[in-house]
Amino acid sequence: MSYSLRGQLVRSLLLVVTPLWLLGSVLLALHARHEVNELYDGQQQIFARQLYSTLPMLAQQPAGSDPKAEKTDHQAVAVWNPQGQRLLVDSEGLELPYHAGVTGFHLLQHDDEDWRVYYLSGPAGSVAVAQENSERLEAISGLLLTQSMVWLLLLPFALGAVWWAVFRALQPLADLCRTLLQRQPDDPTPLAHPLPSELAPLLDSLNGLIDRVAGTLQRERQFTASAAHELRSPLAALRVQAELLTLLDDANARNAAAGKVMQGVDRASHLVDQLLALSRLEQQQTLPSQPLDWAQLAEQACQQVAEYSTVRGSHIRHQVSGGPLPAGEALLLSLLLRNLLDNAVRYSPPGAEVLLEISPQLIRVSDNGPGIAAEHLPHIGQRFYRPPGQSQSGSGLGLSIVRRIAELHGLQLSWHNRPEGGLSVELRPH
Amino acid sequence: MRVLIVEDDPLIGDGLQAGLQALGFSCDWLRDGKLALSGIRAAPYDAVVLDLGLPGMDGLEVLAAWRRAGQHEPVLLLTARDGVNDRIRGLDAGADDYLVKPFALGELAARLRALLRRRGGSSTPLLTHGRVSLDPAARQVTLDGQPVALSARELAVLEVLLGNRNRVLSRAEIEEKLYDWAHEVESNAVEVHIHHLRKKLGADFIKTRRGLGYTLGDGA
Repeated sequence: MSYSLRGQLVRSLLLVVTPLWLLGSVLLALHARHEVNELYDGQQQIFARQLYSTLPMLAQQPAGSDPKAEKTDHQAVAVWNPQGQRLLVDSEGLELPYHAGVTGFHLLQHDDEDWRVYYLSGPAGSVAVAQENSERLEAISGLLLTQSMVWLLLLPFALGAVWWAVFRALQPLADLCRTLLQRQPDDPTPLAHPLPSELAPLLDSLNGLIDRVAGTLQRERQFTASAAHELRSPLAALRVQAELLTLLDDANARNAAAGKVMQGVDRASHLVDQLLALSRLEQQQTLPSQPLDWAQLAEQACQQVAEYSTVRGSHIRHQVSGGPLPAGEALLLSLLLRNLLDNAVRYSPPGAEVLLEISPQLIRVSDNGPGIAAEHLPHIGQRFYRPPGQSQSGSGLGLSIVRRIAELHGLQLSWHNRPEGGLSVELRPH
Repeated sequence: MRVLIVEDDPLIGDGLQAGLQALGFSCDWLRDGKLALSGIRAAPYDAVVLDLGLPGMDGLEVLAAWRRAGQHEPVLLLTARDGVNDRIRGLDAGADDYLVKPFALGELAARLRALLRRRGGSSTPLLTHGRVSLDPAARQVTLDGQPVALSARELAVLEVLLGNRNRVLSRAEIEEKLYDWAHEVESNAVEVHIHHLRKKLGADFIKTRRGLGYTLGDGA
């Protein structure tokens, strides 16, 4: 699924910031209401006390005299003498009821407005100071509005900053992308790119991949080069023998040459088969593993080399002993056994005895031939290596195939000359 | 003309031997580099075909050892390696020519003849003496421009004599150039071939030096 990092970040920012802002506003409103109430209440009380202190002066005036028609917005005051006669009132204060001997805040409805009234009563009389509630609400909403304006003005800048920061942060990736696009596919050098530490693991994995790919490529090239090189000899043999057919007049000699052409074709085919087998095995990384009938596998492998071993006059025996035998892939293990047996028959003198033993801890093919000279022994597992002085043709790939199949099955390949003569090739579980 | 083949591959070696024999060479075949070290002295070889990838001892080492030991036979290398550096190494080690597998038998034979020609100081492909000309590639002999029918052995004796003019060759020397290990030397065979050559090319064409051997006549 593809998504945009920028979009993701902006969405996250809005999702977090909006509720925070709402919560902040609510808290602010609550706090502001408290503070505003306290402030306005205090002012009402002070004003009431000041009015009260003027009561003796006001009392000397004749009661019920014309009230001063002071016009105070959203405010109202009324002053009574102890007898309940109104001494002083403003235009709004006319509506304030007289409450004898009451001190404290009251709520009052007048003209569809909520009023908060403070009464102060004493021996000198009563004072009422009232204020419209909307006055207080205006103060609170003004505060909230200012705060919101700040938020709304800053938000585009914050989003822009996020956008830019993401752009900056992704710049090394964009550079890396350009480098990768311009890179030769077979370039084995690791990427050296300044990346932020968060992206370093990506670079490390990329370099690991490049390294592995370069190794594979190198092996493939070597393999192809060696394979082409190895195919030249069978082709040269074919060419020479085929040309001989056109040169010879004698029917017997021509028949002999034709037989050798066929030998050459068989040899080239064998080499190609082995190359293909090895190439496929190199690609394979995992195996389906199934319980195997090793007795049947051994029997099959012996039969497959039977024709050749009969030509060589060799005898192959096999022993499969009990116990839990390794599981694996039947076709590949059959190829493994066939290669081992074929090697044993091919490189032993005619009439050799070859023994295949299979037990839980060991698969072994041994022969009673001359073995292999110590100086060549370490090299016989190398691809295309064939010990010198060989009259038998071969691809030099048999043991490589065996080793690869063994690896896939977790088996370890080893070989040594037997003290009593002959070569022993062994496979053991790791 | 006698050629030594050093090649470990049984099919290639066998084909080379049979093919070069069919093309008029006598050939011996060795399969092992170590054997070839002394094998080159077993007969007076006119040229050597040497495979580079030999068991026992690498072809280049064999070549270097021969050159150190004063063996100056022309050597043609056969190899599956076709890199320029491989060719340079081969030629620098003392090889006279180089063929990459797979190769054409006809080309190999032509290159061998060219090597022998250069060794003899001549650049024309025809071996000519007086009225007689021999074309080694076509295996044909003419007298005054007219083809003369010669058996393969007669032609081979003539080729040996033409290749060693101004020298007296003993019967044994001619035999060694003619017969490889696979073929029994028939007694008196060389005398018989010389006799036939004299009949076909003129009695004075080949002179006998009593007690020494044979050499070409004045060519008049």
